[in-house]
Amino acid sequence: MNASKAIAKTLVASPERRLEADADLAIVRQVQAGDVAAFDRLIVKYRERVLGIVYNMTSNREDAADLAQDSFIKAFQSIHRFQGQSSFFTWLYRIAINSTLSHLRKNRLRSFSSLESIRDDDPVSREVVDALTDTTGAGREAFVRELQEKLNDAMQKLSIKHRTVVTLFEIDGLSHQEIAEVMGCSVGTVRSRLHYAKQLLQAELQPYMRG
Amino acid sequence: MKDPGRKITVEDLLRLKRAERPPPEFWARFESEMRAKQLAAIVVKRPWWDGASRLFAAVQRHQLPFAAAAALALAFVGVHFVGGGSTTGRRAPTGAAGPAAVARVPAHQAQVAARADTPREKVGGGALQAAKPEQPVVDSNTSHLAMAPVAAQTESPSRAPFADGIGIPLVDLREAGSDLIKRDVFGSDREFEASVASVRQPVAEPLAQVDPAGARLERLLAPALPAYSSSSVRSLAGDRMKQKASYDRMYESMDRYGTGGMSLEFRF
Repeated sequence: MNASKAIAKTLVASPERRLEADADLAIVRQVQAGDVAAFDRLIVKYRERVLGIVYNMTSNREDAADLAQDSFIKAFQSIHRFQGQSSFFTWLYRIAINSTLSHLRKNRLRSFSSLESIRDDDPVSREVVDALTDTTGAGREAFVRELQEKLNDAMQKLSIKHRTVVTLFEIDGLSHQEIAEVMGCSVGTVRSRLHYAKQLLQAELQPYMRG
Repeated sequence: MKDPGRKITVEDLLRLKRAERPPPEFWARFESEMRAKQLAAIVVKRPWWDGASRLFAAVQRHQLPFAAAAALALAFVGVHFVGGGSTTGRRAPTGAAGPAAVARVPAHQAQVAARADTPREKVGGGALQAAKPEQPVVDSNTSHLAMAPVAAQTESPSRAPFADGIGIPLVDLREAGSDLIKRDVFGSDREFEASVASVRQPVAEPLAQVDPAGARLERLLAPALPAYSSSSVRSLAGDRMKQKASYDRMYESMDRYGTGGMSLEFRF
């Protein structure tokens, strides 16, 4: 029963997302009516998620910040075109991903990676690190740093589309349907890309996997 | 603390990526940069294609009505300009265009006639001096060149549609032709008046214009004999020259027949 609920959650948007989308639409209507300051609420609400998507696609903090800001500016400039046919975050994600894809295609040969620190208050990540190493202090930090670099390298070896699917599904937690809306492809294509990307990641990260 | 029994999957490793967060001071800088970019986006003038993209978005939003309107417009244009050429409905506007073209002619010729009348009124003579400005228009219309297209337009009400196309160029030709005729005959249109055409000089007979032999010879010899400038001396010299020429012609004819000795030879 729980497994079927989990599978259903991956396929369609959750009810919480729908409520969130309705709230976003109300703010968007305010902005369209001329309340420009209302857009700041949308920025504060989505900046971490947009930055996380762009960062995981580019593996560069500075580029991610610039692209996230540009995405918000583009959304602000084009807010009059938003009709509410899709949720605001889907629309915003699409802008951010298109900007990132354009950036990555322009700078295909240039890649500078920079790492963000992993938060200690996340229980899942702490559990994974505890399972992989028994060192503490500087040794633990060095191991985590090395693992981060390996993860970034494995992500960068994926194609842009596969990387996007993995980022949206595994890191940001979007459903297949939402990813299909964001990327403008079918749900089947999303699943296929996700499956292929996971196979590649497993091959790259085999030394860190168990079981 | 290492847990060897814990299963680690790709999803677990990717959870580490989810836990990556920038430090809090990063967001302060992000917000200030964001504010500056937002203000710049408001202040900076948008390019012209932004308006076009807005228009395109509006069109895209209502694709069906715009497509239907475009199809109707295309159908109307096709019927009106392509399919409607042979219908009777086409005749009404062209028939109306005929009188309009005819009405153009008096207006144009009235201008020409008015220009022609102005110097004559200053001089104060001629039969046209007492005429009103409208009268030369009537006179010019009475010429056969001016009447030809008018007659062509009024002769048959059921003429073919392409006759309209011919009638209008004929009117233009008449206008252009009348100007050309005026300029060729009278030097300029300023010297034109309708009555002058009937008082035209009769054309002289070409043979009557040929000089007599004596006069021609005298005209030819005048530059060669500058000393004999008087007419009597010139006539005397002309007689001598004529006589000499007749002698030369006789001798030349005798040489041609070869009258040497007792024999007569023919040379060709």
